[in-house]
Amino acid sequence: MCKYYSSTLLFKDISFELGTGEVLGITGWNGSGKSTLLRIIAGLVRPSAGQVEMSYENEPIPKASRRKFLGMVAPALALYEELTALENMEFFCRVRGMSYDRKHCLNIMARVGLTEHAHKMFRNYSSGMKQRLKLVQALLHEPPLLLLDEPGCNLDSKGMKIVEEITLEQRRSGITVIASNEKREVDYADRVINLSE
Amino acid sequence: MKSGRWITRTESSTYLNEAVAIWFRDLRSEFRTRYAINAILMFAVTTLIAVSFSIGSFRIGEAERPFLYAVLLWIILVFSALSGLSRSFVKEEEAGTMDVLRLSARPQAVFLGKLFFNLTLLGALELIIVPAFILLMEYKIAFPGFFAAMTISAGLGLGAGTTIVAAMIAQASARGALFSALSFPLLFPLMITAIKGCERAAVGMDPAGWPEVRIAVAYLIIMIIMSIFLFPLIWEE
Repeated sequence: MCKYYSSTLLFKDISFELGTGEVLGITGWNGSGKSTLLRIIAGLVRPSAGQVEMSYENEPIPKASRRKFLGMVAPALALYEELTALENMEFFCRVRGMSYDRKHCLNIMARVGLTEHAHKMFRNYSSGMKQRLKLVQALLHEPPLLLLDEPGCNLDSKGMKIVEEITLEQRRSGITVIASNEKREVDYADRVINLSE
Repeated sequence: MKSGRWITRTESSTYLNEAVAIWFRDLRSEFRTRYAINAILMFAVTTLIAVSFSIGSFRIGEAERPFLYAVLLWIILVFSALSGLSRSFVKEEEAGTMDVLRLSARPQAVFLGKLFFNLTLLGALELIIVPAFILLMEYKIAFPGFFAAMTISAGLGLGAGTTIVAAMIAQASARGALFSALSFPLLFPLMITAIKGCERAAVGMDPAGWPEVRIAVAYLIIMIIMSIFLFPLIWEE
């Protein structure tokens, strides 16, 4: 894949294949295209050349269905400020075609330590709590592909530990792609692509 | 990417279920922020009061009233709608929730959800403004059934037209000006039809076949079908 913005080259000749249990790290200077690469994988941005293919048992997964199989956390992805945390999760369950299971939502919120704050408005969350709830949103449908753009952003040491646990859990049954320059986060990866090179 | 486990908790759902989820979420947010409804109602009420005071002081002949009143009513409704209906998409862009919605819902479901929300706002607007206009202006209507059908069908068309334009302009920089500029040519045929229909309902001309209502319904159907095909192209980058 390669990506240009107007005539500016962001990255070129990026090619990789991932399978279950693998964790890919993406590093690079600010503006090197880490977040853009994740957005391309998620289908939010089109690459200038090349493509992303997903398959299950050699059967390609159509682009329109991919959203079911991926969860994403990124600083630019916001949740609804005027809803409570639990209302946000209810919405994402329903809009993804899941029946709303309050217990399931609370279980995932418990994993990131937000159970007590489930009925708080999202706008009243601290930046670290917001990041934790974004993780819950990405994990709600138990996606096989987890895209984490700076997952430790605004998190304290307990929060970083949660990210580590989530990555370890995901390694057992799915794929994780982490874009970050934090050594601790990139250390979870089996392979690292440096976009600055 | 290849994986051994591609099973998620997502089930097969209909576009309608997803659209209803988006509709209810937008309603819940609107009840808490009252951003769009305040903008629409403030514009509608102030314009209605200004019109009723200024026109009331002139002597308008009986013959001109049906046409002039229909024009004034639709100017109030259309411009009130233009003052707030773009919010359905613009607020997603401003709040940074557009991408999370892109990752969660199918484009057609998003369009339908936003359409339902805009139609709810328009329904509330018409429920308040049309009876108030009739009372304040002493608007005499010979065929109330035809008048009601005209305002409902043209209101639905207005909602469909403004929803697709709101989606187009959401990511632009000069959203406000662009929304009005793009909406006006799209809504112009509907406005003319609605004015003609309301005039006929007031005058008492034979509404046999209800041609204006049929045109407004045809406009609505064309607009929804076109939008459902067009919207995924606008929604994706």
